[in-house]
Order: sequence, then C-alpha cells, then structure tokens
Amino acid sequence: MQIYAPDGAVGPPSSLRQPGRPVLTGLRIGVLDNAKPNARLVMERAASQIAARTGATVTLVTDKGPGHNAATACSDEVLDRLQKEVDLVITGSAD
Amino acid sequence: MTLIEVADTPDALDALLAERGWGDGLPIVAPTPERVDAMLGALGDVDPDEVVATLPPRFGEATRRIIAVNAVMAGCAPEHLPVVISAVRALARPEVNLRGVNATTHCVAPLLIVHGEAARRGGYNGGTGAFGPGNRANATTGRAVRLVLLHVAGAVPGPGDASTQGGPAKYTYCVAEHIDATPWQGYAASVGVDAPSAVTVHCGEGPHNVHDMESSEPEAILDKVASAMATMGHNNVVISQGEFFLALCPEHAATIASAGWSRRDVQSYVFQRARLPAGRVRAAFQSRAWEPWMHAVPDDDLLPVTAHPDHIRVFVCGGAGKHSSVIPSWGMTKSVTLPVEP
Repeated sequence: MQIYAPDGAVGPPSSLRQPGRPVLTGLRIGVLDNAKPNARLVMERAASQIAARTGATVTLVTDKGPGHNAATACSDEVLDRLQKEVDLVITGSAD
Repeated sequence: MTLIEVADTPDALDALLAERGWGDGLPIVAPTPERVDAMLGALGDVDPDEVVATLPPRFGEATRRIIAVNAVMAGCAPEHLPVVISAVRALARPEVNLRGVNATTHCVAPLLIVHGEAARRGGYNGGTGAFGPGNRANATTGRAVRLVLLHVAGAVPGPGDASTQGGPAKYTYCVAEHIDATPWQGYAASVGVDAPSAVTVHCGEGPHNVHDMESSEPEAILDKVASAMATMGHNNVVISQGEFFLALCPEHAATIASAGWSRRDVQSYVFQRARLPAGRVRAAFQSRAWEPWMHAVPDDDLLPVTAHPDHIRVFVCGGAGKHSSVIPSWGMTKSVTLPVEP
C-alpha cells in the first residue's frame, strides 16, 4: 500500500543568519544573559577567555530586558543596544 | 506530498515508523490516500494544501492535508478534523509561544477544550472521566494534535523537545466543556468568542486534583483550589503572566453558583487566596519574571501566584462526584480560544 509522509515541507526561514566572522581580533563581544541560573557566570567566563585568546574585548553584559527570560526573545531595546554596541553575542538558546 | 510504499501489515508499518522516527510509540492507522481524502471530505470547499500554520521549532508547514494525514494516523473520525485544524491554528498564535512550549525542559502539553456544537456533534466527553480514557473523540483529537507537533513542528523528545521527564499529557490531552452543567455563560463566549463551536488551547501541566466532599460554601471549596495553586513547584510562581485553568466539577460549580457567585467572583476570590509569602518565593528563585508591582511586595506580605484574576480561567467538566482540578500553565504562554473553522 501507499501512505503519506506525515511531516510535510519545511517553511522558509524567517530571517537569514549573519555569516561567521573569520577573525575576532579587535571585535566587541556582548554577553546576553538568558536568566537561567548560572548562565551569566558561564557565558561571562567564556567571553573573557575568547577575548584573551583573540584580542577581542568584552564590552557589554546585559539581560534580556524586564519581563523577558530564557523562554522569550530579548526586548527590542536590548536588541537595539546589541546591534549598535557589539560585533558578536554569546547567549544561551532555548530553555 | 510524499507517498511511501509499504507492505500492508502492522509489522511493516511499525518498522517504517521506527526507521523514520515517526509516531508516538502507539500503533497508528495507515494514512493511505483514500483515508486522507475521506478525512478531508469533512471540510467542504476549502483548499487542502493551504498552509494553516508554520510550526516551530522545525518550522514545518501544516497544511490541511498534512493535518488530515496525522488525524488519520491518530484514529480520528472526519468530523473531528475541523477541531484538530482549529487547535493547530490556535497553537500557532504568537501569544502561545509554541517554540518555547515544544522545546522547554518543562512537562507542558497543550490541553484542548472543545466547546459548543462541535463538542456535541463530535461526541466529545465533558462528563464522567472527561480527561480519559474511553472516548474516541477526546483520545484521537488530542493525539492528532500531538502527532502534528511531533511530525510537523519537530517536537521530538531530544532534538525538538527537551522535556526532562515528559508527561502523559503529551500523548493526548483533550476534553469538552460540560456546557449543560455550567451555571454561567459558556467559557468561549466569556472570553469573547461567540461562535457555535470553539476550541481552547492551554499549554500547561496535567490536572492537579482538588478534593472536597463536604463543603456547602463556595469559600471552603475555593480555599482548597487556592491551596492547590499556591505551591512552589510550578512555573507560574515566578512567571506572573502564567495562567491557571480551573476545571470545576459540576457539583462544585453548582454549590458555588447557588450561593450567587459569578465566574468573576470565583476568579477574584481565588486570586485573593492563592498566595505565598513573598520572601519565601524570593529565597527560592533568583529568576523572577514578575510584574513590576510584584517586585515591590515586602518579604512578609503574601504574593499572588499570578498577576491578575483574569489569569484564572474557569470552566466546567466532569461527572458526578466532588473532584475538580487545577491546571497551571507552563508560564511563558497564554491560552487562545478560536472558533472551530475548517
């Protein structure tokens, strides 16, 4: 017999991913804390170690904004700051 | 639409599901073109290939045909398909936050509440044993939505669903509102959906039992409801937008209403009573997604477990007996009620 596959097509991506930066020297690193316990500690350590190894600088550490947490995107204000003030962001995804 | 050739035996079908990573672990009905066409026949003059919703985290496109495929697999009858489609449409609303619902470590599953004519026509159970088992409409409609989430949304345990322990509600979770035993306006109309048929999706935990065999006063029953809500273990205690669905059994609802209490009175009273010492919550949780005013509550004062009485949603279901239930949400999600439409 024949049956239909139950998964269907995948829709178009809602946004395009920025290409990776080949060299980090001189870039500004931001840390976006997703508010999970110890996330900021781990990500700040990772950011400072990347900065030490590559010559980048950690210039911004922020949470996602009032009322935002690991289950949501950050606020528009925080996104705007990240876009203006840093070249790459370390964050925790999902939950 | 991809068609797959498979031998017409249960073993061959099971092997195919295992190989592709499909299904929920239970046997399925083979979604042959004939069965899927018969299922779609219930919808009338609509485009079966129109995308109803795009579902994260996989961002699969849920067309009516794909939803029908999953409804066949779940064992639905054709008259259940419009409810399944409407539930999928509701789950895709941004306030549901389906990406989070599907991907979180929490045990959340979408509860479907079917209202009105669709509940009556489809044979949904809002009476004795409404949360199951034993009723085809409830069991297969909830299962069809789960299969859509597994297959189309990609909410597969591990890569797409990080739930630490999972939960039985992730197999199927669907009831009808017991409108004949509801002493107030029907739930859907109470939230502004004045349609002959509607479906509510509420992404939450399994039902927490509230047992009261003896009280004849609303306060005594609702104090027990508040006690079931005011615990430290659910997400809402630190996420103030969280909702609680209060599924009152008909006897509790009748006792409360016969004292002259409205649904609004129930919401307000429970909001006042379901509270925890603010300092105790602060000491237990560093991360708190509260309304600004909640941060200002002194440690010695009692803090409500949600920010507003409107977050306490009251409907009636169940049969004889005096057991109601409380269903806390996952937290970062809001319930949605939509008319049942193909």
